[in-house]
Amino acid sequence: MQTRRQFIQRGTKLVAAGAVATAAGPTILVRDAKAAGQLKILQWSHFVPAYDKWFDPWAKEWGSKRGVEVTVDHVGFADVVPRATAEVAAQSGHDVHMFLGLASAFEEHVIDLKDVVATLEKKHGKQVELAHRSTYNPFTRKQFALSDMWVPDPGNYHKEVWTKIGKPQGPVTYDDLVWAAPEVKKVAPQMQIPIGVGLSQDIDSNMAVRNILWCHGGSIQDKDGNVVLNSPETLAALEYAKKLYSVGMTQAVLSWNAASNNQAFNAQETSYILNSISAYRTAQDNKLPVLEHYYFVPALKGPKATLASEHVMSGYVVWKFSKNQDVAKEFLVALVDAARESMLASKLYNFPSFYGAAAEPGTPVNKRAESGGAWITAQCNKDPFGSNPPDKLALLAKSVPWSTNLGHPGFGNPAEGEIFDTYVLTDMFAKAATGALSPKDSMMEASTRAKQIFDKWRQKKMVPGGGKDK
Amino acid sequence: MTSTTAVSVAPTLHAGETIRRSDRRLGIVMLAPALLYIALLVAVPFLLALFLSLTNSSAGSLEFSFVGLQNFENVIASPVFRRALRNTFVFTFVSQLAVIVLGNVLARALMKSFHGKAIARFLILLPWAAPISLATLGWLWIFDSTFSVINWLLKVAGWLGPGQWYYWLGDPTLGMVAVIMIHVWRMLPFSTVILLAGLTSIPNEVREASAIDGAGLFSRIFRIEIPMMKPLLTVAVLFGVVFTFTDMSVVYLLTRGGPYNSTHVLASLAFQEGVLGGDVGRGAAVAIFLVPVLVVLAIFMLRTSRRAEVV
Repeated sequence: MQTRRQFIQRGTKLVAAGAVATAAGPTILVRDAKAAGQLKILQWSHFVPAYDKWFDPWAKEWGSKRGVEVTVDHVGFADVVPRATAEVAAQSGHDVHMFLGLASAFEEHVIDLKDVVATLEKKHGKQVELAHRSTYNPFTRKQFALSDMWVPDPGNYHKEVWTKIGKPQGPVTYDDLVWAAPEVKKVAPQMQIPIGVGLSQDIDSNMAVRNILWCHGGSIQDKDGNVVLNSPETLAALEYAKKLYSVGMTQAVLSWNAASNNQAFNAQETSYILNSISAYRTAQDNKLPVLEHYYFVPALKGPKATLASEHVMSGYVVWKFSKNQDVAKEFLVALVDAARESMLASKLYNFPSFYGAAAEPGTPVNKRAESGGAWITAQCNKDPFGSNPPDKLALLAKSVPWSTNLGHPGFGNPAEGEIFDTYVLTDMFAKAATGALSPKDSMMEASTRAKQIFDKWRQKKMVPGGGKDK
Repeated sequence: MTSTTAVSVAPTLHAGETIRRSDRRLGIVMLAPALLYIALLVAVPFLLALFLSLTNSSAGSLEFSFVGLQNFENVIASPVFRRALRNTFVFTFVSQLAVIVLGNVLARALMKSFHGKAIARFLILLPWAAPISLATLGWLWIFDSTFSVINWLLKVAGWLGPGQWYYWLGDPTLGMVAVIMIHVWRMLPFSTVILLAGLTSIPNEVREASAIDGAGLFSRIFRIEIPMMKPLLTVAVLFGVVFTFTDMSVVYLLTRGGPYNSTHVLASLAFQEGVLGGDVGRGAAVAIFLVPVLVVLAIFMLRTSRRAEVV
């Protein structure tokens, strides 16, 4: 006699098993080139539109050489996750799906890409650590995604204004922002928002508040997956945000979307933002007056660390329901191989996750990362896309040491992803900064929610830790 | 004689029954598409949502287990949910109140003859025809915290001095005002058209008689016109309430629930938790809270429409 619960659970498992059985197939990377097939790719609309102009024909051409009909569909970055949810629910859709952050919540529905990573590491050497930590779940030992690129997240500062306040090289520490805000108001009263660090429900703010948290020694989880948000370090980060907000920001930063900080900086309405170079490229394309004042600084130094989150981390998954898994794997290998083209097509926005893929042809595997790094440095030191001075982007070549993954100091996992997507941290920072809640109450509220989310994923056996939650 | 009557009546009854039976069959056939539609697109999703709200189902998984009322306990304990619940009512009732008042004013204005009346009607109806998602993106620019057109106009007009600025989407109160304004803008044409139809259906004799009896403007509106338009007015209000109560696009596109989750409504919060966050169980639990209110509204609507039929 089955209980209703058993019946439903067995039914669900049968459905899932059916999907797995349908999707299961050989995972051989080398395929008969004559075999025709199809490959459907879902991809974001790149923040640098020139990239899409390269990617789509490149993917189609790659397919035509192998008798594979490649279809590329683009969605806005905000629709990447909802689209994945819909495709999983329908158990049909694209073969390859690109995520911008953590794809880990979909781990159960994607194939293991260990063999792809092994192939690539054999060709190009190791990938950068933050890419590994964003695409591999050490708890389930599954390579659920493959990253072909990541994007550094430097500070963007208005050199003319910062020169006037006596810091021509821009801010170095988080305290510099607090110090600079009133000075900026004096020398550039027309700027609406002296310091533009987003505290809104958007992707850039999500990165920004993590930077502040990590640099003050706090984090959502420790390296073992225990929730440690409730800590004196978090409190210090929130006190800092409150101070910065009171001296240098306005309510505008509470409502920003992903484009708002770009627009504010490009309109010279703020002197500092945290962003990738996409806003800078927009300023170049449109020959905006801000261009000559547009400069960059690396991650700011906090009391405990100097770290910045990656701005974008690609995570390509191959769905279990895909009937073209082998082609999909081949495609991903080819995409990583095309690291140089990808970086140039994105105007140096994309950084290869496998530095070795950008190496000089013929370089031995053990030297490829170094060779690729040298090529990347050469591009940044002499920007082929018209920076003036040409080495304006030079700092990006040295961005690996100060860049880290979502989930730092642990691995990215579905709980971290859900906290990111439901804006738990930006909510905490905004409430503390504006005084809507005290820093401590705000921290406790976010910590409670974070623990609920982690507990839920632990029950699903996809996230470790729990024994040392604070 | 008796037997003759019996013989003549019997076939008549039989024919009547046959007609009734075939009517019933036709009725069932005619209703079937609607019933199928309701079953597939309303009943099944509703039951599924109810079911999922009792599980720990997530977006990236087909497996789940029952967690009882855990999701409901968690969302009720969440201050974000409580705020969203309150906002849903505030947005709905404030915007509907404004819509009815403004709709009345507009309908009365449109009853008069004036130059450019056709253009005025077209412009008033335009928001109803515009897709709400596109329109909200337009409003997003109007309310942008840094580049708001409203603010620039106010500044040019001297209303805003140096350093003064309205952060429409960055301030919880102004954010709510912005959301309400869009709802009013969107629902006003519908309400205006309904009220205009109601006003024009009132015979002129009634108005003339009330004028002869010495009724003033307010007496005429509240004692004659509103009672006579009550069925139509109720339909306009109920439709408006249902549209606004269940809408998520305005909040999602305009504020994304911010600042700090203070402008969420139940629908947008359910989307954030269930689809963006991937916690389908929790998202379903949030959405289920829409049901009791919608059930009450549905009963009201059915009763009103029945009364309107009688009238």
